[in-house]
Amino acid sequence: MIAVIVLLPLLLGMLAVALIRSMSKIRYAAIIAGAASLALLPLVNYGTTTLPWLLIAGSDIGVTISLTPLSLMLLSIVLLIGLFVLIYSAGYMESVLDHRRFYLEMLAFEAAMATFAVSGNFITLFIAWEFLSLTSYLLIGFLHNRNSAIRAARKALTIVFIGDLTLIGSIVLFWHVFGTLEFAQIISMAGAVHSIDLYIAVLLLLIAIFTKSAQFPFHEWLIDAMEGPTPVSAYLHSSTMVKAGVFAAILLYPLFAAPDVSWIIFTASAVTLVLSTLAAAREMHVKKVIAYSTIQELSIMMLAISSGAVLAAIYFFFVQSFYKALLFFGSGVAMEATGRENLDEVNGFGARKLAYLSTLFGVLSLAGFVPFSGFFSNTGISSSLTGNLPAYALLSGVAVLTSFYIVRWFSYLSRNDKRSASYAPNYLTMPRSMVYPMAVLAALTLAASAVFFSISTFLSAGSYLSYLPVQSPLSISATDGALFTVLIAVGAVLSYMVYYRRSIKSGIGSLNRIIYTGPIMNWSYHVVAVITSGLSAGISEFDSRLNDFFDSMGITTVRAGYGIRRVSVGSINTYAAIFILGILALFISFYYLVIV
Amino acid sequence: MVLFNLVFRLLGDKKGQFGMNIVFMLLILASTALMMLSGYVGVVGNVISINPFSEFLFAMFTAGLLVVSIIAFHYSENYMDFAVMSNFALLGMFAVSAATSVITIFLGLELATIPMVFAILLSKRSIEAAAKLFIMASIAIAVLSFAIVLFYGDTNGFALSEYSGGEVMAFAGLLFIAALGFEASIFPFNVLIPDVYTGSPAYLTGMLGGLNKKVGLVALMQILILIFITNKQLFIFVAILSVLTMTYGNVVALVQRNTKRMLAYSSISQAGYILIGIAAATPQGVAASLFQIFSHMFIFIGMMGIVALLEKRNRTEIDELIGLNGENRYAAFAMSLFMLSLIGLPFTTGFIGKLLLFLSAVNAGLVWLAVIGIINSVISIFYYLKAIMAMYTEKDGGRPLKMNRTLAFAVFVCVVITIVLGVYPQPLISLATNAAGYMLPAT
Repeated sequence: MIAVIVLLPLLLGMLAVALIRSMSKIRYAAIIAGAASLALLPLVNYGTTTLPWLLIAGSDIGVTISLTPLSLMLLSIVLLIGLFVLIYSAGYMESVLDHRRFYLEMLAFEAAMATFAVSGNFITLFIAWEFLSLTSYLLIGFLHNRNSAIRAARKALTIVFIGDLTLIGSIVLFWHVFGTLEFAQIISMAGAVHSIDLYIAVLLLLIAIFTKSAQFPFHEWLIDAMEGPTPVSAYLHSSTMVKAGVFAAILLYPLFAAPDVSWIIFTASAVTLVLSTLAAAREMHVKKVIAYSTIQELSIMMLAISSGAVLAAIYFFFVQSFYKALLFFGSGVAMEATGRENLDEVNGFGARKLAYLSTLFGVLSLAGFVPFSGFFSNTGISSSLTGNLPAYALLSGVAVLTSFYIVRWFSYLSRNDKRSASYAPNYLTMPRSMVYPMAVLAALTLAASAVFFSISTFLSAGSYLSYLPVQSPLSISATDGALFTVLIAVGAVLSYMVYYRRSIKSGIGSLNRIIYTGPIMNWSYHVVAVITSGLSAGISEFDSRLNDFFDSMGITTVRAGYGIRRVSVGSINTYAAIFILGILALFISFYYLVIV
Repeated sequence: MVLFNLVFRLLGDKKGQFGMNIVFMLLILASTALMMLSGYVGVVGNVISINPFSEFLFAMFTAGLLVVSIIAFHYSENYMDFAVMSNFALLGMFAVSAATSVITIFLGLELATIPMVFAILLSKRSIEAAAKLFIMASIAIAVLSFAIVLFYGDTNGFALSEYSGGEVMAFAGLLFIAALGFEASIFPFNVLIPDVYTGSPAYLTGMLGGLNKKVGLVALMQILILIFITNKQLFIFVAILSVLTMTYGNVVALVQRNTKRMLAYSSISQAGYILIGIAAATPQGVAASLFQIFSHMFIFIGMMGIVALLEKRNRTEIDELIGLNGENRYAAFAMSLFMLSLIGLPFTTGFIGKLLLFLSAVNAGLVWLAVIGIINSVISIFYYLKAIMAMYTEKDGGRPLKMNRTLAFAVFVCVVITIVLGVYPQPLISLATNAAGYMLPAT
C-alpha cells in the first residue's frame, strides 16, 4: 500500500502526460494524481517490508520501506503540501508554456520525496536522495531560456551531487562497520560501536545532510534556486528537498548524538543561523528573504538536534512546512501582480484581502506570535535548550531579528503609493486557485498549534522512536513564553516603525550602518561571502571559470592536469620514455617498499 | 568464422558480409548461452579451458562486437576490412578469456591488438595513431616476453597456476603489470591512449575502449589472480596503480575540450575503478570487476555511437555539443544516460558496478581505496555534467540531426542494457559471481 501511495503521483503523471495533449486539462490530471495518493493515506499501517534487489554472495541488499509515525508525519506533509502546490500551480503556471514537462517533473519530485519519507534502509534512502537531486535540478532550471535559471540549476546540482557521493561513501563505510544497511539495526547498534571508520562515515553523512539542507558552507545554492517557478520554491522549501537533510538527521539521531560529532553540527548550524538571519534582514529580493529564512529555520532545527532537543525539532519541522509554503504562495501572488521582484517595487498587496490576510497569518507564525504554531515551535526549542546557555542566547537574539526581518518584508509588501494603486486590478484578477490554498494553509498555521500537545503521544505509537532522548511531552515554561513574546514584539514594532510607518527615518540610516555597513559586520560578511561563493560558485561554474579560479586559488592538481594534457599530445618518444620510467618506478618502489 | 570473413572479403559484398557476421555472432552467443546453461566445462589441450569464466567473457565480447559492428556498418568507409580485422581480434579475445597458459594469453593479446593497428591504418584517418599504437604495442610485447621468460625460468612451465616464488617472480609480476598495464590502459603505461582514441574513427574507438582495453584487464586479472594470489605485496601495487589511474583519468578529463579525448580519459578512470576489484583479490572483487567491465563496455560503445553521429558533422569539441537536445532528443538523452550511469545514478549499471566494487574493497579491508574511489567519483561529476549541461543548453539555428536507423538500434541496445540491468541486475551479478567463483573459489 505504501509503495502505491509513494509511486502513484509519478505513475498517474506519466499516464496523464502520455494521454492528455491539452494544456489546460493536464493540470487537473496532476491535481487528481496528487489528491488520489493523499486520499489513500489513511489506509496505511505501520510496519517494515523489504524487497530483495541485489544478492551478492553473503550479503543481500534490498529496498526497505518502513512506515513509522515519524515517516507518516513527513509523508502526509509531502502529500498535503504537494496537493496545495499543484492547485496553486494550476493558476500560477498559466502564463508559462510546457505544462506537461512541469507537471511530470513536479509529480516525479513528489514521488521521490515520498519514497524518501518511507525509506527504511540506506539503499532506499540513497535512491530517493539521488532522484530528489535530479528532479530538483530539472525544476530549478525549468525556465531554461533564462541563463540565470540554468546557472542556478547547475550550481544546485553540483553541490547536491557532492552530497550524493559522500552519502555513497558513508553507506559503504556503514556497511563495513555494521554489516547491515537497515536503519533499525544501525540505530540499535550505534551507541555500542566506536571506531574511526564510523566517525568518518558519520562525517561523510553529515556533509550529505549539509548539502541537502543548505547549511554553511553549502547554503548558496538554495538562494540561487529561487530562479525556479514560485510553486517549485514553495515546495522545495516547505516540505521537500531541504527538509530531507534535517529529516535524515532526526531519523539517524543516535549516530549524531556523540559529543565529538554534535559540536560540528552545532558550529555549522550556529554559523548558518547568524549568516542567514543577517542576510534575510538585508536582502531586497522578495523571494530571497523567504529563502534565507528557510536556511535559518533549517539551522535552528540542526541546532536543536545537535543539543538533543529532537522532539522540539520534529515539531518545528512539522509546523514550518505550512507557513513557509504560505509565504512563498504570498510572494508569488505579489510578484505576479506587480511583475517586479524587488521589495521596494512590490507593494499594494492589501488590494487582495484574502491573500493579504493569509500571508499575514504566515508572517505572524514565522515571527512566532501566540497563538500561532510558530510560537510553539520556536519557544518549544528554546525551552528544551534552557540548560544550554550559548544556544539559548543565540536563539533569543535571532528571535528579535526574525520578527524584524519578516515584518520588514511584509511592510514593504503592504505599502501603498501612487504606483501601487495601478497594481490593484492585477491583484484582483489573480486566479482563485492561487488564493484559496493560501487561506487553507493560513488556517493550518493556527491549527498546527494543537499538535504541539499531542506530538509526543503520536510519535511514541511505534516503539521505533524509543531512542529519542526526549520522551516527555513538549512544554513551554511561562518565563520562556513571556521572554520570547517580548523579544518578538520588540523586533516587530521596531521594524514596523522603520519600514511601514517610516516614523524613525533618521533611525534607518544609523540602523543600517550598524547592521549592514558597520566595519566589523562588513568585514565578516565579506570573509564569509568569499568562502562560500568561492566554494559553491567556483565549483558550479567550473567550466567557464576553471582557469582563473584555480590560478587564484593556486590549486596545483588542475594545473598539473593542463601540464599532462600537453604531454599527452606529444611524440612517441615521450610515450616510450614514460612507459619505461613507469616500469622503473615500479621496480624502485618495489625494491624500497618490499625488499629493503 | 574468420575464414568465412576472408572469403567474403575477397568476393566483396558488404551487405552479405555484414549479414553473415551478425548471424555468426548470434550463433556464438547462442552456443555460449547453451554452454552456460548446461554448465559445460572442458579443456582443449593444455592451453585452453572452457569454463563459466571464459563463457561469460565469450558472450560479453561477442555481444560487444555485435553492437560495434552495427555502428561500423554504417559509419565505416571500408566495413569489410573492419569485419575481417575485428574477427581476428575477437578470436584473440576468446583465446585470452579461455587461457590456461601464459603463452595463450600472450598470443591472444597480440591477436587482439595487431589487427586493430591495421584497422586504424585502413580507415585512412590517422596513420599517426596507428603508428603510435604499433610502436607502443611492440614495446609492451617486448616487456611481456621478458616477463614470461622470467616466469618460465622460475617455474619451468607456462601454466596459469598458483605460484609464489622469490624476488625474481615478484619482478616478473611487476613486468606483467607493466606490459598488461599498456593493454588495459593503466597509468603510467597508458599515456598514448587518448591520442589513439582521438585519431581513430568513433566505431574503432568504441572497439578499442570497449573491447580491447577490457581484454587487457581480463588478462591482467587472470595473471594476477591465478598466479600471484598469494603474493599480497603485488596487490598493494595494484591498489596504488588503481588510485593513480583513476585520479589521472579524472583530473585530466576535467580540462579536456575534445569530447572524445574527455571520454578517453574517463575510460582510463573507469579502468582504475575496475582495478579496485582486482586489488581486492576476493571472489566478490573479481565479480564486481567483471560486472563493471560489462557495464562500461556497453556504455562506452553506446557513447561512441553518438560520437560517430557527431563526427559526421565534424563536431568534436565539447562546446559543440551545445544544443544537441534540440537537434536530436534521443541522442542527447542516451548520451546523458550513459554519463549519469558513469557518475553512478541508481537504476543504471554504473551505480551497481560502483557499489559492488566499493563494497568488495571494504569487505577486503581496503577501506581507504573505496574512499579514494568515491572522492574520484566526485571529481568526475564536473566534466560529465559539463557535457550534459552543454547538450541541454539551447542553441539558435540548430538543424535536426537525423540518426540512422541501424545506429539508433545499436545505441538503443546499449541504453536498454544500461537501464534494465541497472534496475534488475541479479542475472548479471549471478553470472559474474559464478564466473568469479570458478576462477577464484571462495576460501
